Amino acid sequence: MSQREVSIRMYNVGFGDCFLVTIPTDDGDRRILFDCGSMAKGNKSIEEVAGQVIGDLGASPKIDVVVCTHRHRDHVSGFAKPGWSDVDVTEVWMPWTENPEDAEATRIRDGQTRLATALARDLTLRLNAAGLADPEKAQLDADFSLVENAQLNESAMETLHSGFKRREKAKRRFLPETASSGDLVTRFTTEALPGVVIHVLGPSRDEEIIRDIDPPAGKSYMQLSDAQESGAGDGIPEPFSSDWWAEGMSPFVLSEDDKKKIRSFSEGFTSPVAAALDAAINGTSLMLVLQIGDLHLLFPGDAQWGTWNAVLRTPKWKNLLRRVRFYKIGHHGSHNATPIEFVEDAIDTSLNVIAMASTRAFGSWKVPLPELLTQLASKNAIIARSDRPTDAPAPAFTVADDVIEARLSL
Amino acid sequence: MKRIYSSYVQSAPVRRPLKIFASDPMVGTTAPRRISIEVANEPNMVPGPSGERIEVMDYDGAHDRFYPPLDLNERAVLMQNGLDPTESDPRFHQQMVYAVASKTLENFDFALGRQLSLRRRGRPKLRLFPHAFHGANAFYAPDLHAILFGYFRADRENPGQNMPGQNIFTCLSHDIIAHETTHAIVHRLRRYFLEPSNRDVLAFHEGFSDLVALFQHFSYRDLLRDEIQKVRTDIRRDGMLVRMAQQFGEATGMGRELRSALGKQVSRLDNSIVEPHRRGSILVAAVFDAFFSIYQRRIADLIRIATGGTGNLPDGDLHPDLVSRVSEEASRTAQTVLVMCIRAFDYLPPVDITFGDYLRALVTADYELLPQDDLGRRAAVIGAFRNRGIYPRSVPSLAEESLLWEENPGNVQDLPMETADLQRVLLVSASNVSRQVPTSKSSTKKFMAEENVSDEGVELEINKEVVKILHTWATQPENMAALSLSPAHKVEVHGFHPVYRVASDGKLLIELVAHFAQQDRTTTEEFGGIPFRGGTTIVASVDGQVRYVIAKPIATTNRDGEAEARLHELRTYLRELDGADPLLPYGGPTYTANRMKLRMNLAALHGGY
Repeated sequence: MSQREVSIRMYNVGFGDCFLVTIPTDDGDRRILFDCGSMAKGNKSIEEVAGQVIGDLGASPKIDVVVCTHRHRDHVSGFAKPGWSDVDVTEVWMPWTENPEDAEATRIRDGQTRLATALARDLTLRLNAAGLADPEKAQLDADFSLVENAQLNESAMETLHSGFKRREKAKRRFLPETASSGDLVTRFTTEALPGVVIHVLGPSRDEEIIRDIDPPAGKSYMQLSDAQESGAGDGIPEPFSSDWWAEGMSPFVLSEDDKKKIRSFSEGFTSPVAAALDAAINGTSLMLVLQIGDLHLLFPGDAQWGTWNAVLRTPKWKNLLRRVRFYKIGHHGSHNATPIEFVEDAIDTSLNVIAMASTRAFGSWKVPLPELLTQLASKNAIIARSDRPTDAPAPAFTVADDVIEARLSL
Repeated sequence: MKRIYSSYVQSAPVRRPLKIFASDPMVGTTAPRRISIEVANEPNMVPGPSGERIEVMDYDGAHDRFYPPLDLNERAVLMQNGLDPTESDPRFHQQMVYAVASKTLENFDFALGRQLSLRRRGRPKLRLFPHAFHGANAFYAPDLHAILFGYFRADRENPGQNMPGQNIFTCLSHDIIAHETTHAIVHRLRRYFLEPSNRDVLAFHEGFSDLVALFQHFSYRDLLRDEIQKVRTDIRRDGMLVRMAQQFGEATGMGRELRSALGKQVSRLDNSIVEPHRRGSILVAAVFDAFFSIYQRRIADLIRIATGGTGNLPDGDLHPDLVSRVSEEASRTAQTVLVMCIRAFDYLPPVDITFGDYLRALVTADYELLPQDDLGRRAAVIGAFRNRGIYPRSVPSLAEESLLWEENPGNVQDLPMETADLQRVLLVSASNVSRQVPTSKSSTKKFMAEENVSDEGVELEINKEVVKILHTWATQPENMAALSLSPAHKVEVHGFHPVYRVASDGKLLIELVAHFAQQDRTTTEEFGGIPFRGGTTIVASVDGQVRYVIAKPIATTNRDGEAEARLHELRTYLRELDGADPLLPYGGPTYTANRMKLRMNLAALHGGY
């Protein structure tokens, strides 16, 4: 490839992410892989796509940096494929929440995984119950997809933590790292990527943002679920012994309607909990800006409002966002992973930003959100969607083999 | 009349003492934290307890069963000032929710200068369910006209001072009861303050409810004395007085109280703070700062006397007399500030409140009652709000005279006070607040029109004839413009009541307050199920002369740009809420169309603690 162009290849994984970035340096081309996973396939299975990626790396496959933005299956499932043990990887970057030696990270991670397991069990029971009305079943199915996506993919995570050709010798980094001074390192360089400055915009370690990735709704759901597991009946505590129960006629005048309404507050609502868990894991997303000379590439993973809000409130980061020339559209184009404030105030219309969305239609989900694509277009962004390669406008994009490639000159 | 039949001899006791946990069972292990408070001795009390306006119903929805109701008039109960505080007897729980909710309601009656009705949709009373459901939550449910308290197990890993897995009852937390009761009362006073039309609306609901709970701490003498001794008069030192819902916070694994009056987490208001409890806590901190500075000024002389002028308190325990006197000042100051906070309600717009509006209402209400700010309390409030970054929109400065609501800017005509129906409202209301008239006569009740419903289905507490008179008055073209009402939209009369207050100079202040509301439903779909609302509050003197017009216009009027600015705020806020809503990508079209309406739900709001 040309010495002066950065290439970004978006593989068609269906509903998921897989981006291969190639950067020309004085020391030859360097490669970064952002994620490889899918929860609903495109034209090929995720194993086939993973094979395609490895094939594209040439005879002695090498990736300088593998980035796992977050642990959702639609971002990591491809790493379960055995072929990765032939790939030479220098560094693996993950969000700080994946650090096995960080106590808080472990607590949050374990909590999320336990919640996913409990929700999956609960939803399976409900889906198997007789007499489900269609809309109810559709809702449960949709919730189940979310929860399935959140469940731990052990073999994929094993590859990321201790796999690839050099196994443990590939350097694992959990970002942002903490300097010896105790400050978070939000800007660094690495020998693996000469000439590239990496800005770590998220995930934050701020207490308020952590609250979003460790939601109270999940905690109370888990309490109930734990009690059920331990065989304590329905898990609902007994407030008073039977000595205190009123017997016979109701001592109060209360309609059956009202009683029913009140009872409904003790019933578990899985949809909000499933959605909160989904947002919680998305909220751990690594949000990076790669700076190569004047070229700024923004990879936000599926970062949520908490991370974005903190970034947009930090002047130095907002200024950084104003220089972005490439944007990986967050969370497959959903409404809450690309704030309107970013589109309206940060995107520089004179830069003709290249934006890529890895996405496909799924159930009744509003992904990608048409309004978002329209807004981006109104800011002169040139947009490609993985599920519509033929629509990707030339010459900004070239398409071959179901892969859309963008080239940005340095 | 024979002396034995005189009302002096015959009258029932005015007050009823009842025991409660001053805070909650976790910290309520010693005497000063298990206290006896007094509430009105209601004449028609039945088991529940169920009085005139509040009714306890012990239905447990998690187990579909009832717990037997407490009879407060049972002799054994009467003899010991109510049941002793205990976690294990549901009847004590009933007593505690009744007592604290009644106390909260009394605070409103006193401050507002009228007896509030809690009637709603044919239900004469607010219902309290102390064990309604399983969950770490408690909330006011408007459709049930009830406060539902949950119970749950304390966190197993991080239960604070609780036993891991023990039962926690939200209905035994003084602060939670007072907070939820305030939600119910605020909803009664301003039905649209649950519609999230800007960042401040729900935050105001939450912050204000915390304020009421907080200041009630200071009305409990024994607790107060104990704490004043402990913190050596510095009530800003972290102690029981400033902590809210300590057991709940610790039991849910937070490792501390649910919230604090000190604004520890966030100190100044800015637009990035959106979550209603966090945002509301800044309002709480501002009012608490004001309270603290007034208190400090009021005890300065006592400290000088006690320390021979040095201001340095001696080591060891403080003299009990000093503690008593300081406690008295703290209690009086708290009561003054609480009354100020509640009284401001009559000067609030009917919709779309902001913290800035609240500051203006606080200042105006207090100014009307006490034009001279001898005690410096308005100055303290203004200073505290400034320090917390709360600024009203479109005022030139934070000087007192700029903060007062504008006096009848468009020259509205006088209210037609000569009409018989409006005269009657004055008389009926006066008899309602009068000591000698214990219960309103049935003709009075009839006049107040319990079943009156507006065209839009809003339940009203006003006589139909009165509504007609006010509507005719407000919709005269010249008045309409002066009231910033839109001629293109229907005007509804949503409230009219006189207020009677005694100023500190002994003069009786009578004011008339009326609310007018409008709505524009063309944007309801865009705004997730809520209409764009406007409305105007007027405050008039007893002769009908309009003193203040507090308007939130929905169409461009003489107050240029205000409607547009409000729409812009609503759109921005909606966008922020959407951004933070994890359900939205997966919720489907019905959810999208109703999402704002669904977010109004206090159950959901409190579910995130």
